[in-house]
Amino acid sequence: MSDLRVSIGAFFTLAGLLVTATGIVSRQRASLDTVNLNLYSGVVLLAFGVVMLWLAWRRR
Amino acid sequence: MTLAFVDYVILALYFAFVLGIGWFIRRRVSTSEDFLTSGRSVPVWITSLAFIAANLGAQEVIGMCASGAKYGIMTAHFYWIGAVPAMLFVGLFMMPFYYGSRARSVPEYLRLRFDEKTRALNAITFAVMTIFSSGISMYALGLLFELVLGWSFTASVLLSAAIVLVYTFLGGLTSAIYNEVLQFFLIVLGFSPLAIAAVERAGGWSGMASRLPQVMTHTWTYVGRASENPMGVEAFGLIAGLGFVLSFGYWCTDFLVVQRAMAADSMSASRRTPLIAAFPKMVMPFIVIVPGVAALALSHMSLGYAIPIKPGGEPNYDLTLTTLMAQFYPSGMLGVGLTALMASFMSGMAGNVTAFNTVWTYDLYQGHIRRHAPDSHYLAVARATTVVGVGLSIATAYLATHFNNIMDFLQLVFGFVNAPLFATFLLGMFWKRTTGHGAFTGLLLGTGAAAATHGLTLAEGKGGWLGTILHTFPSTMAQNFWIAIFAWSSCFLITALVSLASRPKPEAELHNLVYGLTKIPHDPSLPWYQRPLSLALVVIAALVLLNLLFW
Repeated sequence: MSDLRVSIGAFFTLAGLLVTATGIVSRQRASLDTVNLNLYSGVVLLAFGVVMLWLAWRRR
Repeated sequence: MTLAFVDYVILALYFAFVLGIGWFIRRRVSTSEDFLTSGRSVPVWITSLAFIAANLGAQEVIGMCASGAKYGIMTAHFYWIGAVPAMLFVGLFMMPFYYGSRARSVPEYLRLRFDEKTRALNAITFAVMTIFSSGISMYALGLLFELVLGWSFTASVLLSAAIVLVYTFLGGLTSAIYNEVLQFFLIVLGFSPLAIAAVERAGGWSGMASRLPQVMTHTWTYVGRASENPMGVEAFGLIAGLGFVLSFGYWCTDFLVVQRAMAADSMSASRRTPLIAAFPKMVMPFIVIVPGVAALALSHMSLGYAIPIKPGGEPNYDLTLTTLMAQFYPSGMLGVGLTALMASFMSGMAGNVTAFNTVWTYDLYQGHIRRHAPDSHYLAVARATTVVGVGLSIATAYLATHFNNIMDFLQLVFGFVNAPLFATFLLGMFWKRTTGHGAFTGLLLGTGAAAATHGLTLAEGKGGWLGTILHTFPSTMAQNFWIAIFAWSSCFLITALVSLASRPKPEAELHNLVYGLTKIPHDPSLPWYQRPLSLALVVIAALVLLNLLFW
C-alpha cells in the first residue's frame, strides 16, 4: 500500500469488477442509456486498475 | 435518483480506500514539515495530478457543467486561457523563486522577499478565503445531495467532513496529495463515460452544432462584441481580465495549488509539476463542460430530457450534471459517478484545509504567536488546526448565502483579493527595487480599487453600492473581469511608485528571491520531456490546436 499505484490499482480493479458484474447480471437500464453503459465503463475501470497494478508490480 | 445496493458498496469502498491511504501515510509523519510540506519528497507525477485535483472541487465540476449548458463551449476559456498560460508561467518563471527560496508557504516567501506586514496581510486574507471556499463547497454539496438523493444536508456535510478530517489529520499534506490523485482518476473515469454517452446520444459534435445556436459551439467567433455572446464579455476583458489578471493571480500566487508544486522532490520536479498538470487540465473541458453543452442539445430533441426548471420558471443549470447522471447511468456506474462527485468535493476541501493548516501554523502561529518552540509543538498545533479548519468550514457551510451561479460568486471574491496579488509577485520577483512598503500599500489599495470598481459600476443589478454609477456592464462576468483589471493596474502602479520612494532591501538579502540574483537551473543532461522549456512548448502547441479546432 505504500506505493500509491497499488492503492489506486486495487480500488479501480474492485470497482471495475463490481460495475462489470452489474452490467452482466442486471437488465436495468437508465432512460437514455442505449448501450449497457455498466458493461463498457466497468471494463474500462477494470483495465485501468489492472494497468496501475501492473505498473506498480513492474517497478519492484 | 435512487441508489441501489451496488452504488452504496462502491461509495463505501471509496471511503475505505481514502481512509486506508491516510492510515498508511501516518507512519511517515514525524515532524511538522512532514505534516505541512510533505518534507519535499513527493514524486512529480503525483504532485502534478494533485496540482489540478486540489482545484477541481465539487462546485467546479457542477459549475462547469452548468456553464456549459448556459454559455456553451465558450466556457472552455476558463481552462484554455484562464488556466493553462498561467500554469506555464508559474512553472517556467516562478517556481525557481518559490522552491529555491526554501520558503514553506507563499506568505513565507513574501516575508523573505519583503517584510512581516506583507506576509501577515497575505496570510490572513488567504486563511479566511480557504475556509470560505471550503465552506461554500460543502454547502453546495450538501444542498445537491439533499435535492437529488434526499439525503439530509447535515448528514452529508458531516459525513464527508469527518472523512476529510480523518485522513488529513493522520497523514497531513502527503495524505491529502495522495488522495487527490485517486480523486483525480475517479473524476476522470467517473465522468468520461457520461460525456461520451451524452455527446453520442446528441448526434456527436456535428449533431450538437446543428441543433444549437452557432454561439454555443464556438469559443472565439463571437467574443468580438459583448452583445453577441451569452457571457456578455468582449475579447479584451476576457483576455486581460480572465486570461491575465484572474488566472495568473490564482495559479501563480494561490498557496492552495502552489503548495502541491512546492512538495515536489526536486527543483526540476517542482517546475515540471504545473507544466505536466497543464496536459490533463487542457482536456478537462471535454469531461466537465461538454456534457453541459450536450445536455442543452438533448433538451432540444424529443428524448424526454429537459434542463431542470426552478420554481420561478428559469432554468436551474446547476442540476444539469446530476440529471444527466440520473438518465444515463444505471445503478453501478451511478455509484461511480456519485462517488466521483463526492471525490471532487473532498479533494477541494482537503486542498483548502491543508493549505490553511500550513499558513496558520507557520505564518500566523509561528510568525506572530509563539516563535521559538520545539518542532513537536508545531506538529501538535498543525494537527489541532486540522480539526479547527474543518470545524470552521462546517460553520461557513451553514452560513453560505445563495447566489445565482456559484462560479460568478467565486470570481467576485477572487477578484477582490487575488487580482492585485499577481502584480505584487510580478514586481517582487522580477524587479529587485520593489520594497515591502510598496508591496503592502499596493496590495491594500489594489483590493480597495477592486471594491471601488464594484461599488461604482452595475451589472445585472449587482454592485453600484457607492451611490454613483459610472458604467453599466452587460454581465456580472464582464464586471468581474474589469474589477480584476483595475485592481491589478492600481496595485502595480502604487507598488512601483511607493517602492521608488522607499529604501530597497540590500542585494545580499535577496539571493534566491529575485530574478537576476537567483541561479535559474538549466538541465542540459535531461531528456527533452523532462526539461521545463520543451514541455511548455508542447503545451503551447496543443493549446493553439485546441483553440483553432473550436474557434
